[in-house]
Amino acid sequence: MALAEPDARPAGIVSRGLGAVIDLIVVLLVISLLYVGLILARLVYSPAAFRLPDVNAVFSTLVTFAVAVLYLTTCWAVSGRTVGHVTMGLRVVGRRSLRVHPLVALLRAVTCVLFPIGLLWVALDHDRSSLQDIVFRTRVLYVRPV
Amino acid sequence: MAERIDKISSGDVLKSPAVALVAGTAAVAVEGGKVAARLVTSLPVVGPWVRRGVSELTARGDQVIKQGLDPARELLTAVVVQVIEHVLAELDLTALVREQVDIDAIAAEIDIDAIIDRIDLVGLANTVIDGVDLPNIIRESTNSVTAEVMTDVRSQGERADDRVAGMVDRVLGRSRSRDGAS
Repeated sequence: MALAEPDARPAGIVSRGLGAVIDLIVVLLVISLLYVGLILARLVYSPAAFRLPDVNAVFSTLVTFAVAVLYLTTCWAVSGRTVGHVTMGLRVVGRRSLRVHPLVALLRAVTCVLFPIGLLWVALDHDRSSLQDIVFRTRVLYVRPV
Repeated sequence: MAERIDKISSGDVLKSPAVALVAGTAAVAVEGGKVAARLVTSLPVVGPWVRRGVSELTARGDQVIKQGLDPARELLTAVVVQVIEHVLAELDLTALVREQVDIDAIAAEIDIDAIIDRIDLVGLANTVIDGVDLPNIIRESTNSVTAEVMTDVRSQGERADDRVAGMVDRVLGRSRSRDGAS
């Protein structure tokens, strides 16, 4: 697998959008697993007084935000690729390096989760950069097998 | 004389008067021997001596037969085995069976169901599956299909990216030579 060759092209809005949708599905699956785990834990520790946990909207939003940020930060900092990126053949790289600094990955993940609409700038930008890419000086490139 | 002998079959020989005469003489001799032996053994002084002699001779005969029978049997067996091996080596048994035996008739009478009942089909199937390495085949085929699907999805996505970029460039009146995209 050739990862981000020098002449690799930046990815467009369709590939990145589909990758983002896949990542959203992954995050929702993780949250669902956490919820099921919470239910099973309550069932194990207090089976007599068991009832489904009340899901607070604020708490759920915070958990979703935390899971999404943790997931994106880890994937971008470790390999530059989330599940959605692997599926669509993409990789996040820095402007001068193939690696994304963990702090940059964290800040990029936070802004992507809080302001996902910034991805739409990819369709308009001449270099196919999202607003997050412009701010944090990152790029998303096509990765193709050799 | 020779012609006469040739004409006499085995059945004719047994019906010959000369053979009957010889047989009758032999029978009379045997009967006479029996009577004579009975008379001798019943005599007061000579009888016990004769009976003892006969008994000793009988025992000696049994002993000789026992000692000589086993080596003779082994020798005979070895000779017969060698003869049979030689005969089998000279014969082309495959051709002989092919010419003389109706193999189709034998095969038609074989009870295949009974043979199948005696076979452990599940064990046989497991042995075959173990030998085939089915998991590896499934893994390889699955990987191949997955790789093809992924490549197709990525190619379609890239083409869609270029199409969208082209549309945006046309709307904004930009040059389409960016990023090597068509």
